[in-house]
Amino acid sequence: MKRLVGFLMRRFGWMVLTVWAVYTVSFILIKLAPGSPFSAERAVTPAIEQQLRARYNLDASPLRQYWDYLFGIVTRGDLGWSLKLEDYSVNQVIAEGFPVSASLAVFALVFAIVLGVTAGVISAVYRGTVADVSMMATAVLGIAVPNFVLASLAILLFVFLIPIFPAAGWGTLRQVILPALCLGAPVAAYVARLTRAGMLESLMREHVRTAFAKGLSKRTVILRHVLPGAMLPVVSYLGPATAGVLTGSLVLEKIFALPGMGSHFIYAATQRDTFLATGMVLVYTVLLFTMNTLVDIAYAVIDPRVRLE
Amino acid sequence: MPLELRRALVAVTLVIVVVAVLWASRFDAMPPADFSFQNGTDPKTLDPHRATGQPEGHILFNIFSGLLEALPEGPPDPETGVQALTPQPSVAAGYEVSPDNMTYTFTLRRDATWSDGVPITSDDFVWSWTRMLHPETACEYNFQLFSLPYAEAYATGVVDVGDRVEVELWDRPGETTTSEANPQNFPRGTIVYGILKEIAKPPEPSLPENASKELISSTTAKWQSSWVYTIDVAKRDADDILWDDVESVETFASDLDSTLVQPDTRRAHGVLVAFDQLGAMETPDPYTFIVHLKDPLPYFPFLATYYPLFPVPRHCIELHGKPMWTRPENIVTNGPYRVGLRMLRDRVRLVKDPNWFNADSVEVETIDAMSIESANTALNMYTTGELDWVYDQPITLIEELKGRDDFHVAPQLAAYYYELNTLRPPLDDVRVRRALALAINREQIVQEVTKAGQAPAYFLVPPGIAGYQSPPGIDGTLDEAKALLAEAGYPGGRGIPKFTILYNTNEAHRAVAEVIQQQWQNNLNIQVGLQNMEWGSFLDKRQQKRFDISRAAWIGDYPDPNTFLDLWLSESIQNNGSWVNEDYDRLLAEAASESDTTKRMSLLSQAEAIWVDEVPAIPIYHYVSKHLVKPYVNGFFLSPQDQHPLRLLRLENSR
Amino acid sequence: MSVPDGPPSSAPTATDAVVGGRNAAVLQQMLVEARDVRGVSLWQDAWRRLRRNRPAMWSLWFLVLLGAVAFAVPLLPLQSPLDKDLDNRRFLAPTFGVVTMGSRPGLQFVDGKLTAQLASFEGEIRDAESEVASISDDSERQQALAKINDRINVEHPFNQLWNQLGPISFAMCRVRVAIFGDYAIPSIFGTDQLGRDLLSRVFWGARVSLIVGIVATLVSLVIGVTYGAIAGYCGGFIDAAMMRIVDLLYSIPFIFVVIYLVTFLGEEKVKAKLESVGIDQITIFYIIIGAIYWLTMSRVVRGQVLSLRQEQFVEAARTIGASPMRIVFRHLVPNVLGIVIVYLTLTIPAVMLFEAFLSFLGLGVAPPDVSWGLLLNDGVEALSSIRLFWWVVIFPGAALAVTLFALNFLGDGLRDALDPKMKNR
Repeated sequence: MKRLVGFLMRRFGWMVLTVWAVYTVSFILIKLAPGSPFSAERAVTPAIEQQLRARYNLDASPLRQYWDYLFGIVTRGDLGWSLKLEDYSVNQVIAEGFPVSASLAVFALVFAIVLGVTAGVISAVYRGTVADVSMMATAVLGIAVPNFVLASLAILLFVFLIPIFPAAGWGTLRQVILPALCLGAPVAAYVARLTRAGMLESLMREHVRTAFAKGLSKRTVILRHVLPGAMLPVVSYLGPATAGVLTGSLVLEKIFALPGMGSHFIYAATQRDTFLATGMVLVYTVLLFTMNTLVDIAYAVIDPRVRLE
Repeated sequence: MPLELRRALVAVTLVIVVVAVLWASRFDAMPPADFSFQNGTDPKTLDPHRATGQPEGHILFNIFSGLLEALPEGPPDPETGVQALTPQPSVAAGYEVSPDNMTYTFTLRRDATWSDGVPITSDDFVWSWTRMLHPETACEYNFQLFSLPYAEAYATGVVDVGDRVEVELWDRPGETTTSEANPQNFPRGTIVYGILKEIAKPPEPSLPENASKELISSTTAKWQSSWVYTIDVAKRDADDILWDDVESVETFASDLDSTLVQPDTRRAHGVLVAFDQLGAMETPDPYTFIVHLKDPLPYFPFLATYYPLFPVPRHCIELHGKPMWTRPENIVTNGPYRVGLRMLRDRVRLVKDPNWFNADSVEVETIDAMSIESANTALNMYTTGELDWVYDQPITLIEELKGRDDFHVAPQLAAYYYELNTLRPPLDDVRVRRALALAINREQIVQEVTKAGQAPAYFLVPPGIAGYQSPPGIDGTLDEAKALLAEAGYPGGRGIPKFTILYNTNEAHRAVAEVIQQQWQNNLNIQVGLQNMEWGSFLDKRQQKRFDISRAAWIGDYPDPNTFLDLWLSESIQNNGSWVNEDYDRLLAEAASESDTTKRMSLLSQAEAIWVDEVPAIPIYHYVSKHLVKPYVNGFFLSPQDQHPLRLLRLENSR
Repeated sequence: MSVPDGPPSSAPTATDAVVGGRNAAVLQQMLVEARDVRGVSLWQDAWRRLRRNRPAMWSLWFLVLLGAVAFAVPLLPLQSPLDKDLDNRRFLAPTFGVVTMGSRPGLQFVDGKLTAQLASFEGEIRDAESEVASISDDSERQQALAKINDRINVEHPFNQLWNQLGPISFAMCRVRVAIFGDYAIPSIFGTDQLGRDLLSRVFWGARVSLIVGIVATLVSLVIGVTYGAIAGYCGGFIDAAMMRIVDLLYSIPFIFVVIYLVTFLGEEKVKAKLESVGIDQITIFYIIIGAIYWLTMSRVVRGQVLSLRQEQFVEAARTIGASPMRIVFRHLVPNVLGIVIVYLTLTIPAVMLFEAFLSFLGLGVAPPDVSWGLLLNDGVEALSSIRLFWWVVIFPGAALAVTLFALNFLGDGLRDALDPKMKNR
């Protein structure tokens, strides 16, 4: 327990360092990027632009801005105001978008793991059969097709050809299923392949042979002795998988018109919405870091040889 | 790790997963609105003084009412089905114009109230227009009131010695003389009126030649804040300012650390022309609102139908401040609908306001303005019945849609053109510009690329403005184009410097650019590059004049040629191509002060002839608006301004 | 279980040893035998195993073929990838209708044929050249020749059909015209929204997509292997610090950095500066992508190096005084190549998908260049319930999917072949 707490403390320290580093880098990037956040179709006069700058504290020296903003984040958790969505503060934008993105990601990941592990186990156990080959071929297909193509095809198939899902939008469970499936598909494919490989490896292990020799049922052996070992690569993939799901959601939010965080992320970066961009990057960084930490803990839980350090 | 802890962690993980899934599948299902439409990008703001785009317009026109409202008048055009919109009474029950077209007297309805029941009076308009023009509001559309005397000086913060000015002291709520500025410009600090006697300025800081725009504007602003103003403060009686009675002579500055500050100098936000005290607007009684113009603008009533001139709720803004007052729980409106709900990047739900003065005529109870950007997604939702009106369809499908009964096309007051940077070679040569313009096959572009019935454009101003006749457009053969190019020193396209077409990321713009690229290659042997950028960066690049050729489009702000032609005034900030022509400027200035409509239009037409001759931009086509509207929707009018008052909609029950 | 195929056994057996008197002779024979036996290196071993893996071999041949075809695209009798026949050929479904190069009226080619136009153009150039030859003054002649060169650069008919051909591609195009004349493969993949032939676009797109995939992966390889090997070899504090940095970078949402860099590099000034040193935007694009994908590579390499550095051959190298750099790059890196190659075949697909993703966001290559990502993005635009232009998405999609399929199978095969643990399975 002590070690776990110590580990978490150290990780937290690293996270603070990471977030700070990311903040600094993105601040510099944003300052370097040409262009003003106040460009509008009706060009604004310099006087007005100056007013706008002053309103957002963008008229201070860069170093001053750097500290002021950092101070606001640390003391008040205040990420500032969005420059483009004028009625919203960055915190509000995140508060509205996060639940959507998170729901989508949770569904996608759960779906991907359940489907991927099941498929992987089946194809490892029935290695070489038609089921195995076809499942693995599908899995490769899942990896080989960009998800915007997959999503467009899925819409044609499940919205128009077999009308079971609504075309887009957010608000009901039915609306979340199709995007979550599309988002989870590549992850599921990857998980299936990893599970299969892991299963095949553990099936060769001595302790599994012993278990079989003891006369335990196939089911028991696979669930109790093979699967946990086979899960290691899957667990270590969960970190990158989360990153993949977050990136993938940018595309799906666009295609399915979902009000998640992903679209803000792209807009903020391309439209020079300084504060929103920084806020988004920080949120994503914290998310990824947390996920990586959880993966490390899970690793230690599954494999007793691994020590948290 | 001990076994028990591992077991516990496994259990905890499982619980977390289950809780997460349960949490994720918990939705508050919302009942669908009676009518839903595609509203493009998420609206930037619901503040009429800060909004600019079409998505904001679709909402603002329905939650606020102005003095006048643009409504369809007369029978639809038999060919196109288009009905012209004209200014008709709204909050103003009627108005009178003086014979010289310089004074408008609006009589307000007595039953017009804000959605919280507070009555709307003429003072609301004075306050709203002052806020709209106030420099700190930074309203992009503030030029729409520049026809009022002193409005432009007020909005741009220009003051001269001898002006009647207002000084806003440094005592806005929460401010002390040493504190930072409160960014809320309303409610305002104490206002002192007087006549500006002197401005003492420290020496102007010198800047390196290559200083960035940002540095220049911040240095200038800092310098200006150290100016010290000397003012003859005027006496006031009950409701008048006695400009000629000097009460005291005082000095004001916004930066008290300035070297020129005297011991009794008071801190102030700035010195502006006393716009609202100089007779531009009069309120003889709460229900009479008189506006004096400095130019006889024939289109002023149209401006009054546009949202920047709408009244905004003073009591609400002063209570909540910006931007909080536009939050759905705070906002007070005065239109047929109020804001029921706003979900970022999802929808704005409009709910019928029973307090609106003409509420009985409004039929549709709830309307969803859905923030959907992808044309394909919108079309899918329309097909499955989740949307009732879609105004942006994928261009690949226009041909398929054109045959359908629910697809409506109407000419729009908008032009699509390629702006040329006339400072950069080879585009600084008018012969090259004309050759490029001649070598574009516009018929092919409108028929095979845009396909919805856009009109090929050979001049700037879209047809359909009453009383205006555009000059003959750009005309010539390919051989003439080649000859012009040779004359300019590039025979057969040889030796021409490479240039690039800049466009904002969009399938349709890309297609047009690619076709023009091919046409120039085929016809003139000129190879051009293409570059796409996101909207924000694209605008920025144009405004900093760092482009060769840029895709551009302009939607008329009001039905008058001036809205297009004034973009190329040499002093216009919209003139990104840096084209300067004195005759052009002079003709537009003459037209502005001309009260005879026919003469005015002919002056504008002459100006456009110069434009066509000099080709500061290559016109490509004039827009059409394209609407997919479900057949059970009645009361959807097509208009050149492309405005669609939602309160006129009627839904058939048979949906 | 398959038969182990290590080197043939030639070890002396116990019975040999018992027979004492014939020791010398036996030893002699053993030496002879040992000389005859040729050691089988890891690579030969792996290659043999790989050859028995059917899908992997098919994939390998497919990829080799694809690479060759992509290189030779200008030689193939394809239509122009960018000539847009708006008037007659928009959204043509796959067809076998015969096409003549240069027949579109808008091109204004002589006789509506590329060959005829080329002949007439070359005739004109020849005339001009003979005229120039008669000029006596040397500098004047040089000037006139430069003018003709200029004219070839601007007015050559190839410019109308292909975009900025490099010298090699230009020569290949000439060969193509010499061999195939005006013949071009019909639009068997159909045409797109602007009337361009999809077959040739898929082929020309293969060039860009493959180059992006390979170059970016190589960049990631160089960074990742160097970083990982150094961290692994140094160990201790340096290793810990370097790996912490990798962890830190793992937590950065890189897509954001990419979007920023792509917009930043698209800036006119930056672009001009880069072009002056001979780097075009697309090169930067590869480098950016490569610079992102090195993280996992460095982790993998570091793990391998960490276990290898205790081995005796490293000790041996150290004892004879090899410098650390030499040990890392001469002794350790070659030993981790196996896993690196496996990982490469997995990175290329990821990079190609990433390119498609950027195209979807409008940040990919700029037209008239074409890549599979761009084609797919166009294809998805044309996919709707109202009318299905299936060919604009199916063919580029299939091209991408088959390539990624092949890379995946090859990667699996290589892993099986190279991984010692999987040996004998």
